[in-house]
Amino acid sequence: MTEQAACGVTGIWNPSENLPPRVKKLRDEYFSFYDRDYFRNEVRAYSTGTEWDSVYSIYVWTILPELFPFFTAFSDSLLASAEIVEQPKDYWSKPLAVRRAEFFGQVISERLPVKILDGELIVGSYFNTALSKNHTKREGRILKRCVTRWLDEARMIHETGIGNCGAVPGHLIPNYKKVVQRGLTGIVDEIEEELAVRPPKSKRDNLHAMRICLEAVPGLTERYAVEAERLASATDDANRRAELLDIARICRKVPWDAPETFHEALQALWFTHMLVMAAESYPGPGLSHGRIDQYLEHLYAKDIREGRITRDQAKELLMCYWIRHNYAYDFQGRIGSNQGINSGFGQLVTLSGCGPDGEDLTNDLTWLILEVIEEMNLLEPKPNIRIHKNTPPELLERICEMLARAQGAPFLLNFDEASIRGLKWQGLPEDQLWDYAPVGCLENTLQGNDRSGTVDVNLNVAKAVELVFNNGRDELTGRRLGPRTGEPESFKTFEAFYSALNKQLDAIVDRIIEAAGEADGMRAAFEPTPYLSTLVDGCIKNGVDITSGGAEYNFITVEGIGFATLVDSVVAVKSLVFDQKKISMHELALALKDNFEGHEKTRMLLMNRAPKYGTDSDEADKLARELSEHWTKRTFGRVSKKTGRRFRGGYLSWNYWISYGPLTAATPDGRLRGQFLSNGIGPVNGMDKKGPTANIRSVGKVGLETAPNGASHTMSISPSLLRDPEHKEKLAALIRAYGEQGGTALQINMLDVDTLKKARDNPQEYSNLLVRVTGYNAYFVNLGREIQEEIIARESGVL
Amino acid sequence: MEATIFNVQRFSTEDGPGIRTTVFFKGCPLRCAWCHNPEGISPRPELMWYDTHCIAARDCLAACPESALELTADGMNIDRDKCTACGTCAEECPAAALDIIGVTWTLDKLFDEIVRDVSFYENSGGGITLSGGEVLLQHDFASALIHKCKQNKLHVAVDTTGFASPGIFDNVTGPADLVLLDLKTMDDAASREFTGVSLDLILENARRLGQSGKPVWVRTPVVPGATDSPDNIEAVSRFIVANLPNCERYDLLPFSNLCISKYERLDMPFRFRKTELPAQESMDELKSLAESCGVKNVVVQGLTVRNA
Repeated sequence: MTEQAACGVTGIWNPSENLPPRVKKLRDEYFSFYDRDYFRNEVRAYSTGTEWDSVYSIYVWTILPELFPFFTAFSDSLLASAEIVEQPKDYWSKPLAVRRAEFFGQVISERLPVKILDGELIVGSYFNTALSKNHTKREGRILKRCVTRWLDEARMIHETGIGNCGAVPGHLIPNYKKVVQRGLTGIVDEIEEELAVRPPKSKRDNLHAMRICLEAVPGLTERYAVEAERLASATDDANRRAELLDIARICRKVPWDAPETFHEALQALWFTHMLVMAAESYPGPGLSHGRIDQYLEHLYAKDIREGRITRDQAKELLMCYWIRHNYAYDFQGRIGSNQGINSGFGQLVTLSGCGPDGEDLTNDLTWLILEVIEEMNLLEPKPNIRIHKNTPPELLERICEMLARAQGAPFLLNFDEASIRGLKWQGLPEDQLWDYAPVGCLENTLQGNDRSGTVDVNLNVAKAVELVFNNGRDELTGRRLGPRTGEPESFKTFEAFYSALNKQLDAIVDRIIEAAGEADGMRAAFEPTPYLSTLVDGCIKNGVDITSGGAEYNFITVEGIGFATLVDSVVAVKSLVFDQKKISMHELALALKDNFEGHEKTRMLLMNRAPKYGTDSDEADKLARELSEHWTKRTFGRVSKKTGRRFRGGYLSWNYWISYGPLTAATPDGRLRGQFLSNGIGPVNGMDKKGPTANIRSVGKVGLETAPNGASHTMSISPSLLRDPEHKEKLAALIRAYGEQGGTALQINMLDVDTLKKARDNPQEYSNLLVRVTGYNAYFVNLGREIQEEIIARESGVL
Repeated sequence: MEATIFNVQRFSTEDGPGIRTTVFFKGCPLRCAWCHNPEGISPRPELMWYDTHCIAARDCLAACPESALELTADGMNIDRDKCTACGTCAEECPAAALDIIGVTWTLDKLFDEIVRDVSFYENSGGGITLSGGEVLLQHDFASALIHKCKQNKLHVAVDTTGFASPGIFDNVTGPADLVLLDLKTMDDAASREFTGVSLDLILENARRLGQSGKPVWVRTPVVPGATDSPDNIEAVSRFIVANLPNCERYDLLPFSNLCISKYERLDMPFRFRKTELPAQESMDELKSLAESCGVKNVVVQGLTVRNA
């Protein structure tokens, strides 16, 4: 029997066979969702027990519109299952931030269960919470009224296909570096300093609340120490006993005191990190580590130098640390899912990148972590590698090797020069820009001082096309969403059409920003998070909670969806209606209304006879740049009224480019209603007909600095491009050249079609097949059929 | 200045070092029976019809000034005696199901396309490759293009059959940085049978190229029943060792049948339509054989069948 073997065929991407036995056991244990009855990091609800209490914030979850029908059920069932943490009478007279802090402190130091799994070196198991909002009856009533009213608008925005928005937790980089350097005690010192100057009451209240949160942490870590000692005395294994006693020692030290070894640092980081998730009652999405290879390197190097640890031991510790992050999604393990719910959400680690003078900062720890990523093959934490003009060739070579061996992309690549240009454009201080890092998937922010809010607003920019053809109305519902710009036949010139289109674009930008601002304002008023506030610079100094704009830098990102769909539609109108005059505006409008039924010829003309974004067409790319600048600059001109957070643009479509397909009418690029919109900053699916260099150049020409949060660009490369060292070098060169063109973030998928088809048809045999979809990893067999087909189609087009 | 070109392939990774743009010149004096670019053989533009794109809009039928088209239940009949490849039908087709293969490019327009990827060439040690068809058939344009590329410090490779008068061969390859030379067979009878031309001119040019000192990559398509015998590969190898000291690399290119549909679209017969891909093992054996003759850097490039 023979089979045609395209070069570079990859197998299912399994973990390395050389994992240390301990790590293999812990990794397998994580994946044993159905057998692991002794421990699951389920959401644990804690309530004050008042009849008006709430443990679920709807405005947190409205960016997952598929949850709309379930909000009431989630809210009620979580509350019904909640453990009551009763409060004394004087509790209710305290400021909300203090109430939130005391409650958080009680839960973590007294209630949150403690569990150490056999063999673990980094501990901290239970952290998924649904914490009481700690509202008084009055607060509860006001919030309920506000949320109900706001939810109507949020639902309307979603159901008419404009997009979605919320006040989303996570999605920032806390100042973990400071925890490594000074410990929580160092942060308490900062709070004391601010309190010493006798600030006004509101500031004092916030500072008190922050201190309460930090001072509660040893209450939890002490319980881990006690548990470690209990297990130590119960085991016959002398090695494990020694490990457990060391764990107990470390738990009594960090994160309260600054860690002094690599092991202590990882434990300090894990406790600090898991408590952010507990405090925000939000399981990890976008809660990112920043440049971990930079701020941990000195401790790693010191331990190695002083013979305290071997490289392999450090690697094993990192692997234990890696596994912990996956428990953020433990509660989804048995559910399976659709449309990528069962996917990694992006506890991002950033590796490599440039220093203040453009020098490369790759170090020994960078290399070690790359090994951990490759050998573990886990969803989380998600790596993002910063590339710049001085990236060493060895690192690029390593990246290409990893791509060659991987199925799916093992990491995202972020490009420093273009990213930094964007951060500069939005006015961040130039001396800090080199030290930026992405959160979530690829959203560029500063580290430790930037409440970046990167996926709070998701705007379907292609909707503007539908509105301009329907005189400002949603085609499906007839609702008015934008101004009356006239019937399409009234546009006698392209300029008239274009001006009307931009007015519709403005209308949806304004509307969604207004709604997002309200969500942001509600959270600021009703849901302070003093624990997180201690970890983001500016909040202590200003004495303002992070939810109220206390951080040094405060942004809310509006992520554009369907950008290339918008561009190609406008280009097609210009080219075929006004320049070539091959289609009349009347015919086009009719064809769109009929969803191209009976207008196949018109549709074909639109698809085949107009320039397309993604082919290095200067005509299309010029319009792309104009359109991008138009909506992103308008966005940047707006701030959230209650918190002062500034809105800024970005291009990250998550899975919305699929879900908003049915809510967007047929578009003049030839797309039918229901077909996907374009993804991120990339061209419309299948339209990059001139290959990757043309695709990359089109993206580069957009001028992405006005979308400073970063732009997701996914490209699929035929595996044959990685079949030998010669071709790996060509890919490395392509990546290097990418950085010169202007794109900010690239995800390279390396999949072969046969494997994907087999996985689609035999899901049980491919349950661990990892792919990356729009910047997050997912198990292929758990993806919705639509996304599966999409990935297969995308791959087929390339091979 | 103009040329007839049937493809400008960006991000080309198989025609020389680095990332390249390969320009395929239309027209070839050889008639290789295994040719995988049959659309490059005729020097004239040709019409192709893609059944998968056609939506039976029939605009083409009315548009054709020669009445050369007929859409039947079995597909489009193109009367190639009548068709002048004027392109009117292709222009009218909304679905891009008709395409004129072979477009006239001016030097300036072609150069504008080429320089778009300079950053990719620079980072990869790539450049441009002139291929075909046979580029030497349009040697004036080729020389001008190479001159312009060299003025702009771009790396240029010329991919040729070697079948051209010595003066033309030297003129075009002289200013290039690299020559990709096809040596398909060392047997003159086989050459006449499978490529339609005698070897004399090709080998004469090859020998002179061997004295030029210019970097050369030799390429042999390994076609079952035509060029894949160990004797042939050994003969090519010995020729390289004896005459081409400047040969930096020897590519063995396994026969591919991915071109079948192109033959169908051009209404051309394909002698190798049933031929299977060479086995990886036999490619590896040929590689060892070439190496044992003293050829350096022998590379197998392409799809093979692996015996499982």
